Amino acid sequence: MTNIALIGNPNVGKSTLFNLLTGSNQYVGNWPGVTVEKKEGYHKDIKVTDLPGIYALDTYSNEEKVSKDFLENGSPDIILNIVDASNLERNLYLTSQILSYNIPVIIAMNMLDMAEMKGLEIDPKILEHELGIRVVPITATKGSGVDHLLKVINSKDYIKTPKFKNFPDEKTAYDEINKILSKSSKLVKDSVSITKKIDKIVLNPILAYPIFIALVFMVFKLTFSWVGAPLADLLDGYVLIPLQEFVSKLLSSGSPWFQSLIVDGIIGGVGSILVFLPIIMTMFAGISTLEDSGYMARAALIMDKLMRKIGLSGKAFIPLLMGFGCTVPAIMSARTLESEKDRKLTAILAPFMSCNARLPVFILFSTIFFRDHADIIVMSLYLLGIMTAIFIGLLFKNTIFRKDEEPFIIELPEYKIPSLSLVAKSTWDKGKGFIKKASTIIFALSVIVWVLSNFNFGGMSAMSDSLLASIGKVVSPIFKPLGFGSWQASVAIITGILAKEVVLSTMGVIYKGDLSVILPTIFTQLTAMSFLVFVLLYTPCVATIATFKKEYGTKFAMTLSVFYFVVAWIASFLVYNIGQLIF
Amino acid sequence: MCINDLKLGQKAFVSGVFGDIKLVKRLSALGCTEGCLIEVVNKAPFGDPIVLSLRGTNLAIRKKDAKNISVEAR
Repeated sequence: MTNIALIGNPNVGKSTLFNLLTGSNQYVGNWPGVTVEKKEGYHKDIKVTDLPGIYALDTYSNEEKVSKDFLENGSPDIILNIVDASNLERNLYLTSQILSYNIPVIIAMNMLDMAEMKGLEIDPKILEHELGIRVVPITATKGSGVDHLLKVINSKDYIKTPKFKNFPDEKTAYDEINKILSKSSKLVKDSVSITKKIDKIVLNPILAYPIFIALVFMVFKLTFSWVGAPLADLLDGYVLIPLQEFVSKLLSSGSPWFQSLIVDGIIGGVGSILVFLPIIMTMFAGISTLEDSGYMARAALIMDKLMRKIGLSGKAFIPLLMGFGCTVPAIMSARTLESEKDRKLTAILAPFMSCNARLPVFILFSTIFFRDHADIIVMSLYLLGIMTAIFIGLLFKNTIFRKDEEPFIIELPEYKIPSLSLVAKSTWDKGKGFIKKASTIIFALSVIVWVLSNFNFGGMSAMSDSLLASIGKVVSPIFKPLGFGSWQASVAIITGILAKEVVLSTMGVIYKGDLSVILPTIFTQLTAMSFLVFVLLYTPCVATIATFKKEYGTKFAMTLSVFYFVVAWIASFLVYNIGQLIF
Repeated sequence: MCINDLKLGQKAFVSGVFGDIKLVKRLSALGCTEGCLIEVVNKAPFGDPIVLSLRGTNLAIRKKDAKNISVEAR
């Protein structure tokens, strides 16, 4: 088995090459001790470990620590160093550093076409000779050169005594790199880069924010109006509902409790959440398209000033944006932030970005209670979430997270046309993860909710005598000051911790019938509003709590679960009581 | 003078990077070393952070950090 470490700067096509080399034969895990993703894959008897994208091996980020640790202790046979031909100067600096490990290095030179567009002419042979390192040109986006690369790896035909080496300081290294480049490449024509032209518009003082808002709006429209939601309706109408009908017909001769377990419990529970698969996948497709195009770095740049006001850097903006889709990946992507403080604060604020699981609750309640103003109500709920995040951010910035700001340095990569295969792959990965969640955690919980709502200690029972009702009655006094003290509402809130969509499905099960007729007999406009505010802010779903636990430990997860509950309680209390004074 | 004194589109040579060791290390690794040609190519809408171009790379950096890069006019 040949053990290969894949290393390179960010944005040089590393993931694309990794996917090309290993196909679907990949495993994603965590690096021990630090929360950075670890990817391993196989090509026949070659094992490839994809190290995080880094610029150097001597600074202090988690990514660099992980890479260094792997080079020192992972005993790789070969280091495959992917470099961007259009930016060799900076890319070769990392190369100079990895040479100090005395492990054979092969350079995969990607993006020669980009270099050509920049007017650069590079001779790989001379470069290879000057460096004393095997250089293999590849075009990762088209997949060309990869066969050759594999041949080189298998033939052991790589030069083992590099002339290039690790230099004592950065200046010497860069001077040496320039000497080598002056022999192996030349600028044949001066070209104005497209990136520069696009940045003139995208970072223009007047246009920057409108463009930014338009792009975010587009992703939301795609998700909720144009593609995601219609697909979800199709999935529901043509697959899930017919399936439910088919199964209940099939089971109609069996015992009613078994039919109810399968149809109401499992299909109802898992199905109500599986419906959101197209919505979640569409949102991720949108976000990864923006990411792959190079725009996200610009978004981080223009948001930095605002984000700093709540104690975060512009980079935290991307994870928070993802929070509108789903909090779990939002917390996970906070890993890429530099400081522990930034990662934690971003994770804490992410659940306030109302995830799309809460949207069905918002839509149903606001159409019932606020009819013509439904969209304004939904929008103001989103805004309230953001405002709460700003408030909490300000509060924490000046109390627990009082610490110096990390320096903010971010590369603005060249714009490129997003790679369809890369976007499709990361979207599918997210989809797979979601299906897995639906078929495991949510499956199990649906069964539990069904059991609790149909049984008590005496056996099968009416809903109002069930265990679930008893639990609801114990808890309901907590919600009395908020205006919704019925056991049903309490139970919906509790089960909503499993997954926010379940707030609705629980009500559907409990009230048995058309919610748009029943709910107005139980809630007033004001209590409905108070309820919505509570649903917006309270303890996030178990998947989120589990992610908190995985990333930051049990204590952190438990403290936060209580914290969100308290925040929601206070907000709803204010809404309900101030509302009573006014109306 | 420091990089913040440069106007948009103005080029200069880096004469040194000072301050926090983390910042110095990171900037040097990216090629911001003594003698390197550097240009302020862009700015965020409120003038901060700024975008620097050096050795073919575009970097966004806050003014507060950028003031540690001292430059000499060419």
